Amino acid sequence: MKHIWWYVLLLAVVVAGDRLAGCALKSQVSASAFRYSRLYGGVAEADILLLGNSRGLTFYQPYIEEKTGLKTFNLSYNGLPMDVAKALTLDYLDHYPAPKRLLIDITTCDRTNDELLAGFLTYSDQSFRLDTLIRGRLPRVWRGGQVSALFRFNNEIFQRALSHRRRSDADWLLDRSIPPQLAASVAQHNYPLEVHPYLIEQLRDVCAAAGAKGVDVRLVISPYFPGFAERVSHLDDLKKAVEAATGLPVSDYSRALSDPADFGDFMHPNKKGSQAYIDLMRKDAVLP
Amino acid sequence: MVFNSLTFLIFILLFFPLYFGTKGRMRTWVCLVASYIFYGWWDWRFLSLIVFSTVMDWWFGLWISYNDAPEETRERCENGSLVLQFFGRLTRWVHGLQLQRRTILVFSMAMNLGFLGFFKYFGFFADNLAAMIREMGITPSWTTLHIILPVGISFYTFQSMSYTIDVYRRELPWEPSLLKFATFIALFPQLVAGPIVRAADFLYQMSEDKRFDWNRWNSGMGRVLWGFFKKIAIADSIAPFVDQCFAAPETFGSMHLLIGVVFYSFQIYCDFSGYSDIAIGLARMMGYTFPENFRTPYFSKSFSEFWTRWHISLSSWLRDYLYIPLGGNRNGKLSTYKNNMLTMLLGGLWHGANWAFVFWGFLHGMYLVLQRIVGPRWRSLARSIRLPRLADDAVSIFTVYVLTLVAWVFFRSGSIGLAGGDSFATAGKVLSGIASLEGFSFSAVINKFQVIKGFLLIGALLFVEISNTRMRWNVRQVEQPALRLILFSVLLWVLAFFGSFGANAFIYFQF
Repeated sequence: MKHIWWYVLLLAVVVAGDRLAGCALKSQVSASAFRYSRLYGGVAEADILLLGNSRGLTFYQPYIEEKTGLKTFNLSYNGLPMDVAKALTLDYLDHYPAPKRLLIDITTCDRTNDELLAGFLTYSDQSFRLDTLIRGRLPRVWRGGQVSALFRFNNEIFQRALSHRRRSDADWLLDRSIPPQLAASVAQHNYPLEVHPYLIEQLRDVCAAAGAKGVDVRLVISPYFPGFAERVSHLDDLKKAVEAATGLPVSDYSRALSDPADFGDFMHPNKKGSQAYIDLMRKDAVLP
Repeated sequence: MVFNSLTFLIFILLFFPLYFGTKGRMRTWVCLVASYIFYGWWDWRFLSLIVFSTVMDWWFGLWISYNDAPEETRERCENGSLVLQFFGRLTRWVHGLQLQRRTILVFSMAMNLGFLGFFKYFGFFADNLAAMIREMGITPSWTTLHIILPVGISFYTFQSMSYTIDVYRRELPWEPSLLKFATFIALFPQLVAGPIVRAADFLYQMSEDKRFDWNRWNSGMGRVLWGFFKKIAIADSIAPFVDQCFAAPETFGSMHLLIGVVFYSFQIYCDFSGYSDIAIGLARMMGYTFPENFRTPYFSKSFSEFWTRWHISLSSWLRDYLYIPLGGNRNGKLSTYKNNMLTMLLGGLWHGANWAFVFWGFLHGMYLVLQRIVGPRWRSLARSIRLPRLADDAVSIFTVYVLTLVAWVFFRSGSIGLAGGDSFATAGKVLSGIASLEGFSFSAVINKFQVIKGFLLIGALLFVEISNTRMRWNVRQVEQPALRLILFSVLLWVLAFFGSFGANAFIYFQF
């Protein structure tokens, strides 16, 4: 009998420790300067809202703020799909005054990302939209989050929140140059971009919701490494599909930068490239 | 069915009450049916293969035994079950052919290796033959069959073969119960990825009903949790980083690739030894003892030591059934080198039908040979310069680990080869990428979060393993309830916080 009691005690200790640790980690996340902690912490008010996947990190906030004199907030994240981006953007529009401008990189409609979605379990108790999305798409993960408080923090999003506890993430950008050997092999690489009707619908909803609040929405395709835009399949199809769904024009900068030194890899401009890209967007009045 | 799945959790929750709620033959039936369900969950069609292989090997054992003692064996058959009576009559009939014991063993080996060869190596040899013919300017007209590899075939075939060989060598008596023998072959904890349990180590354990024992249960549970920690928290967490490195090595810098290779060495160790831990733990909960399969292999000071610490059940199998019969180290240096090379080459081929696995075996064979040549000279040099023991050990451990890493690059690339890629080109890119020293700084590493998490977990693993070997306590067999409570709780928290719950299959399933 004592062995059975031992297992009962084990269960009690595990559950209690899990909940306690969960509370401690949640307080760390809330205190973080990471973008989503700020979003749900009420300190993310901005004039320009930026949205994208890893390519959206090219919207280098310090430079935009320096050039425009406006406050920016970037919701972008590596591999962020448009359905999660929609939840975040609508949450932003619910909690803050409407920004003047919303800049979206449409390649965020490329593909869904369940692994990343599971990572947003860390913030799902603060967002009904994220919670519903995870519950619908990843019911096992959602149940895991109900069973274990620690499991809600078992992801990269939490690790980033922890690493930005006392440090802003506004200057998060790929800060390196593409290796020459890799740059020379551009013709051997392809990127199979997917045109995902479901994600385009999500983008349409974001544009409609922002437009209804008087936000000036601008859609862009950020630059690719010279010669790589041709290796990305369906890029023009995506552009046409987005324009048809949203009724907004897409500013295509996919071939706008020609200097290899502007890139960290085939998909991402580096700091120098990002600044050149921002200058181009300002010249075209995509950015104020 | 994989251990790290919800299906297995339900399976095991149903299995244990049935197991401990039955006795004698009924319990053995429970084990056998459960094991076949476990195996059939993957692909029920291959159950016929394991059943056929089991029945044939059991019968070959009976046949060999009949040759040794016809009267005694016939009497046991006649007084046995209907199955035994049937096979007894069949054996009496074929006994009339007057075949030698050795010939019967050859039949058995041919059947086992035939199955293994067909399912695992047919495509490999056919492709290589076709390539050779094409080199001669002729286009072969045959179509290569795409044969599905039955999970665990390499493991249960070796297990089955060891029984027949041991009966042939008169080291093991023939097992009269087909039910017991079939359960030994198919017992689900070890069926698909080992440890390779030998009949001599296991069949006798089935002679009595194992009573439920809390100490064994708790100790087994601890071992299972430890196995899950290795598999779910470490191996599956670092797997995406490794996959990325080997999928496109040319896109990463030197440091990134080096970390990828180091991570792979721990991924495969934690994946495989994690499976073994779970298997050993489950067996312990059932009341059985399985042989150990790993003993902190990356702390080996020589390659011969490495092979007594890594996949022990396979290396000891190859030693007893291949290396020693070939002559071992009894016939002079050259013969020893040849036997080392041959054993390791076949060990490499056992892992997969790809030249990269063979090359991995070749490298380990070379390491063993070189160790025999260089080892004594190094030892005398270390003595002459009065190198402290600790430094000597550190140099040896480091050297063995680095050379093992080089071999792992080919092994990992072998999996790419199995998936249709060019394994040697991948290995070349990884090794030349590391050697180039371009981007040899931590700032050039992508996915730093995965790297930090990976090293943190590997550090925890090494701490526990060093503690196990150097100190007087053992995390896997803690007897004190309070300490056990803390350890189990910590393991469960770590699993929830670090675990990767994608139900990823174990790497060794493909072998």
